[in-house]
Amino acid sequence: MKTPSLVKASLLLGTLLALSSAAAAEVKIYPYSGAHVLAGQKFDLRVEVSGVAAGAEASVMLDGKPVAGLIKTNSAADTVEYTLRGVSLLAGSHTVTVTGAATGQATMIAEAPATVAQAKKVILFIGDGMGWNTVRAAELVAHGYNPDNGMPLGRLEMETGLSGLATVTNSSYDSFLTDSANTASSIATGQKVLVNALSVYPDNTKDSLDNPRIETIAEILKRSKNMGIGLVSTAFGTDATPAAFAAHTRLRGDYSAVADQYFKGSAKPDVLLFGGSNDFISQTVPGSRRKDATNWIDDSQKMGFTFVSSRAELMKANTTKLFGLFNLSNFNSYLDRVQFKDPSVLGDFKDQPYLWDMTQKAVETLDKNPNGFFLMVEGGMIDKFEHPLDWQRGVWDVLEMDKAVAWAKDYQKTHPDTLVLVTADHAHSISTYAGYDHTKGPGNRDAVLVYQDGKFPTYSDKKDVNGIPMVTPTRGLAVGFAGVPDYCETFTARPIYKDPTISDGSGGYAPNPDICKEEGAYFRTGNLPRNTNQGVHSADPVPLFSFGPGAQNFVGMMDQTDIFFAIAKAMGVDATKDAGK
Amino acid sequence: MKPALFALWAALLLSAAQAQSSLKFSEMYSKVTVRGIEFSPKLQGMSGKSVSMVGFMAPPLKPKLDFFVLTKAPMSSCPFCSTVADWPPDIVLVIMPDGKLLDPSTGALKVTGRLEYGIKKDDQTGFVSLVRLYADKVENQ
Repeated sequence: MKTPSLVKASLLLGTLLALSSAAAAEVKIYPYSGAHVLAGQKFDLRVEVSGVAAGAEASVMLDGKPVAGLIKTNSAADTVEYTLRGVSLLAGSHTVTVTGAATGQATMIAEAPATVAQAKKVILFIGDGMGWNTVRAAELVAHGYNPDNGMPLGRLEMETGLSGLATVTNSSYDSFLTDSANTASSIATGQKVLVNALSVYPDNTKDSLDNPRIETIAEILKRSKNMGIGLVSTAFGTDATPAAFAAHTRLRGDYSAVADQYFKGSAKPDVLLFGGSNDFISQTVPGSRRKDATNWIDDSQKMGFTFVSSRAELMKANTTKLFGLFNLSNFNSYLDRVQFKDPSVLGDFKDQPYLWDMTQKAVETLDKNPNGFFLMVEGGMIDKFEHPLDWQRGVWDVLEMDKAVAWAKDYQKTHPDTLVLVTADHAHSISTYAGYDHTKGPGNRDAVLVYQDGKFPTYSDKKDVNGIPMVTPTRGLAVGFAGVPDYCETFTARPIYKDPTISDGSGGYAPNPDICKEEGAYFRTGNLPRNTNQGVHSADPVPLFSFGPGAQNFVGMMDQTDIFFAIAKAMGVDATKDAGK
Repeated sequence: MKPALFALWAALLLSAAQAQSSLKFSEMYSKVTVRGIEFSPKLQGMSGKSVSMVGFMAPPLKPKLDFFVLTKAPMSSCPFCSTVADWPPDIVLVIMPDGKLLDPSTGALKVTGRLEYGIKKDDQTGFVSLVRLYADKVENQ
């Protein structure tokens, strides 16, 4: 594993040497100094020298030997760059040295290949935005306490029968704060990545698709072991979390390019089950977000995929390559699909599968590959509803994901070569701070019950068809967010979603008047900048729950990049090998 | 015809005409599937005609507007400003008459203008619209 003192030393060395070069000249080297990669993990080596005279040259050495095959470019008059794609390193410490027009140095560590495979299959659940406090709110809703003796009535599936437990902290290459692109990229590649970037290092060109790429765990498992790869999400299909495992771009908003890379890139997923179809259909069709006539629904079938677009079709599928899209954009939230069921909200999408259906069908499909599989399942809408402070929709999507975890745990019991991981990419500043007496109406501050007045929530008194508590208890939770724009609070779930803010017409945001005029709604002053329209990610820690062989690699305090190396270790990855197919 | 009766008759005619030319957001599409959106027969029948729609102005780009996006409900996401905004399909691009600029507003608006449908990309912003109103009148509701 990592040796922090060595990392610090090499960082310091790299910085000092870069500083000692010509005054205006600057050298950037990717992988950045201090990077850890797997031995054999492919990456693009890039050296950028800026602030130099036109025609300036530099030489690039790896461990004291010139690097052959570098492509030289000049992206501006005073820069020169050297790029070599698809590089990998043998185990050990390696140093890239730049001399000539300017000097610089970066030292990176290649981790030795694993010798034993503890697990042959991995199911990685990522609850987008599901920090510790989000999990706790879901647990309080799902189980709560026995009011007669104050004893807990149970925990979530993801929290019980654990083989390992870790707390994970995250950060970006350019900030201690994160978005879903760089966090998923850190899990996928073991690298620190820029906010909004997907599994690439920075570069100095405008083109977002030419950045130095880093091979992802999905790509490595496909290349080195010819394993099955699956990506599942309730968010739109090209959203950051699934994209980080099979696509490379500086800008997560390159949706069409992400869709193309799913089918043309090197991860070659065998299972793709998503919400939004709008990046997979031709621009000639109303509702498309593409800028060309590509239609991946049709083209994927020519490549051998079975395409499904409803729960009924999904459950019938019996194939080795499965592509499913179940909405034009994101899935509707669990509450909208199961408890509110407003026809104006669901429209024509009346048969969206549950996340547990998609998990089951993905596993059944991938299981046909004798080499094992890597499956990422994202609860993608948790974050999408925490952002607009709609904690109920977010938390009930955690409960949906928890049932998918329950299915995976059952599968693990009968398939003991399977490792199940449940984690989050980042947190939100959510907190359960009190109880709420719903018999006193919505938006009533005096119905917020603190300390012993909170007693115990009663969500479990009424359950829906799936055994998940109804969102309409008599005694509920008061849940809020620390970082908020100006908005109006009601403490109560609303059957039709509303944005918390609207534009104030001059670059800022004002509380949504439609919410502010609801019964009992009261104004809450925000603390975020006035041009922020919703809640934001927090730096709070997230959990990692693990089940099955290899779970012992996920224990204690982890940086998010450690997850990549721990998965590689558990799966017995030797990235220096090529399965040759 | 007595003047009072005539007035009633005229009012009825007027309200019938108004009812005919108004379009709700829920009436724009007949079908939305993963393969795309189908325009409703009602919307198609209104093509080129004067149509009124009531909605809200999406977060605007500029302090004075020669175009804006009309939405079913008040929204905070801006189709022009964010590459990651999840934008609903049921929106209408409103184009103001030449030389007439509008101030941004937050309340409900009634827009009356010539309706046009079909995929169209705005060269300036790159924004792709499906339904457009070339406005004659924008009133606060």
